[in-house]
Amino acid sequence: SEYLLLLTQAKELPAQARRLCKINDGSLHAQLLEDLHLSETTPSPQSDPVITTRKVVSKGQNQVTIEELAILKPQTIELSCYLTDIPNNPPYLTGYWTKDGKGIVNSEETVNRTNEQYILKKTFDILAKDLGNYSCIFKEIQTQVTFVLDVPVIKDKRDKPIVSYTGDSVVLACKLKQTPNTWNWYKANNTEKGLINVTANPLNYKIFIHGNETKLTVLNLTEEDSGKYICSAEFDIKPSESYIELKVLSYIEPLKPFIAIVLEVIVLVTLIFLWEKCNKPQNDNISAGENELCSEQISKLTRDDSNGVENNTARQRKLEH
Amino acid sequence: MMEKPQKTQEEQQSSTQMAAPDGGWGWVVVGSLFVSSALVFGLIRCLGVFFVEFVQYFGESAQAVSWITSIGLAMQQLMSPIGTAASNVYGTRPVVMMGGFLSGLGFILASQATSLLHLYLTMGFISGLGWALVFTPTVASVMQYFTMRRSLAIGLGFTGVGLASFAFSPLFQYLVEVYAWRGALLVLGGLSFNMIACGALIRPLGKPKVVLKTENLTKLNKCSSLLSRIFECFELSLLSHRGFLTYAVAITFFNAGYFIPYIHLVAHSRHIGFTEYQAAFVISVTGVADIVGRVASGWFSDLGKIRMPHMLVVWTGLLGLSLMLIPVAVVYSGLIVISVVYGFCAGAMTPLAFAVLPEIVGIGRVLGALGLLQLIESVGGLLGAPLSGWLKDCTGSYTVSFIAAGSFLVLGMLVTMSLPYFWSCTAPPLPSPSKRKSQDGSIEDGLLKQTLSLNSVPENLCPLDDTPYLDKELEK
Repeated sequence: SEYLLLLTQAKELPAQARRLCKINDGSLHAQLLEDLHLSETTPSPQSDPVITTRKVVSKGQNQVTIEELAILKPQTIELSCYLTDIPNNPPYLTGYWTKDGKGIVNSEETVNRTNEQYILKKTFDILAKDLGNYSCIFKEIQTQVTFVLDVPVIKDKRDKPIVSYTGDSVVLACKLKQTPNTWNWYKANNTEKGLINVTANPLNYKIFIHGNETKLTVLNLTEEDSGKYICSAEFDIKPSESYIELKVLSYIEPLKPFIAIVLEVIVLVTLIFLWEKCNKPQNDNISAGENELCSEQISKLTRDDSNGVENNTARQRKLEH
Repeated sequence: MMEKPQKTQEEQQSSTQMAAPDGGWGWVVVGSLFVSSALVFGLIRCLGVFFVEFVQYFGESAQAVSWITSIGLAMQQLMSPIGTAASNVYGTRPVVMMGGFLSGLGFILASQATSLLHLYLTMGFISGLGWALVFTPTVASVMQYFTMRRSLAIGLGFTGVGLASFAFSPLFQYLVEVYAWRGALLVLGGLSFNMIACGALIRPLGKPKVVLKTENLTKLNKCSSLLSRIFECFELSLLSHRGFLTYAVAITFFNAGYFIPYIHLVAHSRHIGFTEYQAAFVISVTGVADIVGRVASGWFSDLGKIRMPHMLVVWTGLLGLSLMLIPVAVVYSGLIVISVVYGFCAGAMTPLAFAVLPEIVGIGRVLGALGLLQLIESVGGLLGAPLSGWLKDCTGSYTVSFIAAGSFLVLGMLVTMSLPYFWSCTAPPLPSPSKRKSQDGSIEDGLLKQTLSLNSVPENLCPLDDTPYLDKELEK
């Protein structure tokens, strides 16, 4: 009977207390009693080892401070705003909390001045749906501190697509500061995501995972492989995603400007030689280079041969007479 | 003004025809040098865009990838004598056209690379060889076309490098974004083919040296003729020429220190704490100062007020000083000022470093001299960069490597001061058998050479031949 009573009460306990019970399996009864006692007398979870605290100090009024917090798993977090250097040092201030711009009900409280400081704290249980921007706002002095709670964001994203060629292979990489549980890659077709399964397609894909970075190698590229690829870092609380765009070109693409340039070179060289060949020699004092008659050149070529000088047959050599 | 050889089998033309034009078609050749230097050195300077892609695609380290440029540059310098030797035999035009073709070919093959080794072989060896065949003969041609305005012509030609660095950076970035590195390399190969057109523009001023010489050989057996041909082609007689050797040593020192800021300035700026954009701006400002310096120095030295070796000493001294002062600048504005001075002096010394060569060895040998010079100075380039990198790794900052670079330049400057005829106030004496008079007051002085005369007079009349320094000349 007493046991049953204890069990039902255990269900109403906050999550932290219940976790403590799970650890100490042997002394379950004793622990339950202890925790019941704790939760009655000390509502503040200071003794709870899994809570995290984050504190920001803001000086002066009319300040807006932003602090980013990376949340990897569901947890309880205590956010504190410390205010100092407030002019006129009023005896108390009113502060309240907002989440994503909307005020949190019953969060307004009066903060008394302690040693030239004003401290406003609040504890939040954070699950996946609770991620967002939490702000403590002090009404009278328009000071605001915002805590951005989110999964770690994958930075160094290329805003330009990665380009590769059919038949070639390409490496797509994602990196984070924190190490997730695992990484997953998806290919996005319009609105749906398809998981990339290496065992199903060993010839086309290779995935390399090493702690906080991952690389997807796509082999034997075809044009259908173009599109959006999503790397997903799986955390306890929620996955963090980033996308990379891949464009697969055929070899004809760069050949077009290449052939255009080669044609231009051929035209230029032909023009230069033609112009030089068919210019009559000028006998005046213009200090230009030599100009030759076509016939002179032909006689020169025959003479050169007899002198044993090699002729580059692909090009005409202009020899000064 | 150049004089035709007077003892060839061909008829002699009127004496005005072989003159160095100093204008006219010469400016077209300057334009050819402009485009060539843009497509060689401007291209090399902007290859950094590709290196990021290579690191990602091949999974190699940045150092392994940077060997591509090192091999390319080394090939360009080491193969220079081959380029000039071939020009001595076949004439500049076919050699430069072949070089343009090779440079393009290297990049086209590189676009199909499946490993880093392929890139070393194609972008490094093949393109490097192509660049060697293009660059040095083109510079020599410009020098042959100009006497009075040689420095200005060379300075103008080299502005291609600076302007190309500006234009190619965003262009390469765009090409890589649209076509990925394979397509971009293919397009660049096509662009490099434009050097073939540049080569076609270089109308020869005379028959290639060796051709003229061998035409007049009467009786020599094949062996000694081959050896002598090699000796001629590569201009190996210069190796016993004191002026040339002194200058080669000086240039080697210059080379050791010259490139270091290009490599380390960005890293140094970031190291002190400036942002990426501030560091990039410093480089841009240096680039602009470089271009201005080239043209200004070329124009000024052609005015003839100060002798060219003296001007060279001034610029290299200032350059060494500014290099040593770079670590002192900790404020952003100070760094900008010093970088401007550095850029200007670096640009100013470049045309002079080439244009002073005919004064030392004579215009007839300038082709071979350039080739050998590039070969010898490559030692400086190959040693300088790793040395400064090593110094940085040892000491943890770039200060010591900048000071080392500056001291290399000062050392080169001191060696330059030991050139023969340095301390005289006028230009070296003219070669005697020439019938042309030099222009008065021109420091270029009539370097009248009989390019190949086949009497017993040594083939090149370098003004220093009159001196007691022995010159082994090949006499036929």
